[in-house]
Amino acid sequence: MKAIIDWLDDRSGFRTLIKEALYEKVPGGARWRYVWGSCLTFAFFAQVVTGTLLWMFYSPSAQTAWESVYFLQYHVWGGWFLRGIHHYMAQAMVVLLVLHLMQVVIDGAYKAPRELNFWFGIALMGVTLGLSLTGYLLPWDQKGYWATTVATNLIAEVPLVGVYLQKLVVGGEEYGHHTVTRFFALHAGVLPGALIALVVGHIYLFRRHGIHAKEPRPKRDSYFWPDQVLKDAVACLAVALAVIVLTLYFHGAPLGPPADPASAFPARPEWYFLFLFQLLKYVPAFWGAVIIPAFVVLLMFAQPFIGKSEKGHRFNIGFLWCLLIGAGALTFLAFSEDRANKKHFAAVEEADWLAKRVVEIADKQGIPPSGAVTLLREDHENRARHLFSSNCASCHLYNGHDGRGFPVDSNQSAPDLAGFASRAWLEGLLDYDHYVSTKYFGGTAFKDGKMATKVLKKFGEKEKALVPKVAALLSDIAGLPYQEPLSEKEREEGFNVFFDELGCIDCHDIEDEDEGSAPDLTGYGSRDWLAAIVSDPSHERFYGKDNDRMPSFVRDEKLTVEEIGILVDWLRSKSSADSAVR
Amino acid sequence: MSEPNDSTDDGDRRAFITKATVGVSVACSVFPFAAGVPAFLDPVSGNGDGDAGEIPWSKVASFSALPEDGTPTRFGIVRERVTDAWSTLTNVPVGAVYIVKQGDQVKAFNLKCPHLGCAIDHRSDQGDFFCPCHNSSFAFDGSVSNPASPSPRGMDGLETKIENGFVYVRFQQFRPNLAEKVPLI
Repeated sequence: MKAIIDWLDDRSGFRTLIKEALYEKVPGGARWRYVWGSCLTFAFFAQVVTGTLLWMFYSPSAQTAWESVYFLQYHVWGGWFLRGIHHYMAQAMVVLLVLHLMQVVIDGAYKAPRELNFWFGIALMGVTLGLSLTGYLLPWDQKGYWATTVATNLIAEVPLVGVYLQKLVVGGEEYGHHTVTRFFALHAGVLPGALIALVVGHIYLFRRHGIHAKEPRPKRDSYFWPDQVLKDAVACLAVALAVIVLTLYFHGAPLGPPADPASAFPARPEWYFLFLFQLLKYVPAFWGAVIIPAFVVLLMFAQPFIGKSEKGHRFNIGFLWCLLIGAGALTFLAFSEDRANKKHFAAVEEADWLAKRVVEIADKQGIPPSGAVTLLREDHENRARHLFSSNCASCHLYNGHDGRGFPVDSNQSAPDLAGFASRAWLEGLLDYDHYVSTKYFGGTAFKDGKMATKVLKKFGEKEKALVPKVAALLSDIAGLPYQEPLSEKEREEGFNVFFDELGCIDCHDIEDEDEGSAPDLTGYGSRDWLAAIVSDPSHERFYGKDNDRMPSFVRDEKLTVEEIGILVDWLRSKSSADSAVR
Repeated sequence: MSEPNDSTDDGDRRAFITKATVGVSVACSVFPFAAGVPAFLDPVSGNGDGDAGEIPWSKVASFSALPEDGTPTRFGIVRERVTDAWSTLTNVPVGAVYIVKQGDQVKAFNLKCPHLGCAIDHRSDQGDFFCPCHNSSFAFDGSVSNPASPSPRGMDGLETKIENGFVYVRFQQFRPNLAEKVPLI
């Protein structure tokens, strides 16, 4: 063994190299404040390794990027963990960058003769942020897609060449296959290559000038090995552990629903870019994306010269603190604005639901070549929510929201349809106070109609006690999939109440062809009945000429018969409790 | 200037520091690889989603259309539903077979050479099957016809049945370059 090592050393001289690498002098002894550079190198190393492993699973195209990430996340042994480590290590890297920069500037390590190395550091920071930005798009989910759209639109703000630059990055005018392939080439080839070249230069220059010792020196000088290496390694291990904990806690990196250009999602960048996002609410894009960043970067490049005087040095430190505090404040504003925004909250909830839903479907049936987004577009549950939201929610609510979970801007004017035809829903309907409340008919002409004023309002204790029986009967006729059917005896009781004790039959027909003045309750709440009333509520069988503003969806060609079927099935599929938004 | 790390340092302490440093450094270097080991080994670990199950019958040809004289005919095999990682594909060609008629029976052979998986040709002038990669030759009953052939076994016969005048084949692949036929699942 020794002979082989001697031979290798003779031919390569690696012993001297290792000696030089390890026996670098550390003036003032090993210190924790010097660990950040090593931590960053370690983090980058971890990203290269985990990134290469992720590469084995990733398929860069608009129809396979999300799909391959989904497969890794949910069907490859430990895939979620690998992806989680890469995701949270990227975030750790940004934090470490800030710590490294602050330590260098506060310690004065950026001053002559280390100007050049400081600039290498700034360039490295830019490349790292570029890696974050490009990596965010690669899963091709809604979040990455819409947030990166904003970022690439900002490229167009660059004077003269912006539009061309944008096309080069996007791979054309619109997002598509070549956006994925270009971002992937940047993320896994160009940027890591640039980063390696810059790191080599950075470390070479660092070794050339040696560690900049922060005064006062606490201890005697020592060597890099083993004292400082131990501190560095312990810090790296702490970073690794933090990343593992984050990965386990969040069960890996999030994967939103697949990118869909037709389904808007409120774009938010990764948390460390939120300050830029927030800034764009206050200043024109050209200022936010070009002038201000360019000014900050130029000023940072000038810092080694500004720092020549003690005053200048203090200015540099103050400037960075202001930058950090400013970014922190903007980030806080961005978060708190979103937290106060109910629509944003609903959009995030819906995206979570869609992400879960698409995985459910893909697990069951696999993904067609057209991609996972078609699974969601064809999913009846998702289609029903959209159909309700765009066709019904201008008057009706669904459990207080628009069917998709969004709050509505204007007041509700027609009944809330969550749990429609269920016993609980009908018992509410048959109670005067509820009937005339906005949850039922309070916003319609029916609140002053016969049913309200001549029937429900006059119910005494005896009648009120009978309401549950008739509600149970009607609900049984509806045959909702989540409710137990009535026994023969209970049905009989219900019919007795309907015909004799409450006399509903005086206005409403039931299991009868005749047309009474009030809606015919034959087959009430069944798929056919509900489809028929949505198709044409003004029909004699239903509200007739008393119909209050509800459109005849099929007659007016607002919905197809198929769409009404999807909507009706969905309305009948869930009790009000099941359909509640969390 | 004094020499750093004075030799009066406690030897035990130094040895401990060195050991700790090596240990922690190794842990750090191994960590990113370890994070990906399970995923990387997924294809061999048996933890992934296997697609095992009954091999389906594929309808190949009409029995009456096959040449009476036993001349092999080549047919593609199309599967109704194939999954490949995340993708579910329909009506996918998955391979090809040679069908040989023998009286009221048929024989079916996988097109792939059992040597190293090249596609086997049918030589009508020589009256045999011939692999154009490494020159194995096979008789129409699938057996190795030339002893100089590198193939360790005859062509891979497949299960067949004839139903309502149509030939059906249970198409499957076998591990190459072994004397026995070991099915790939």
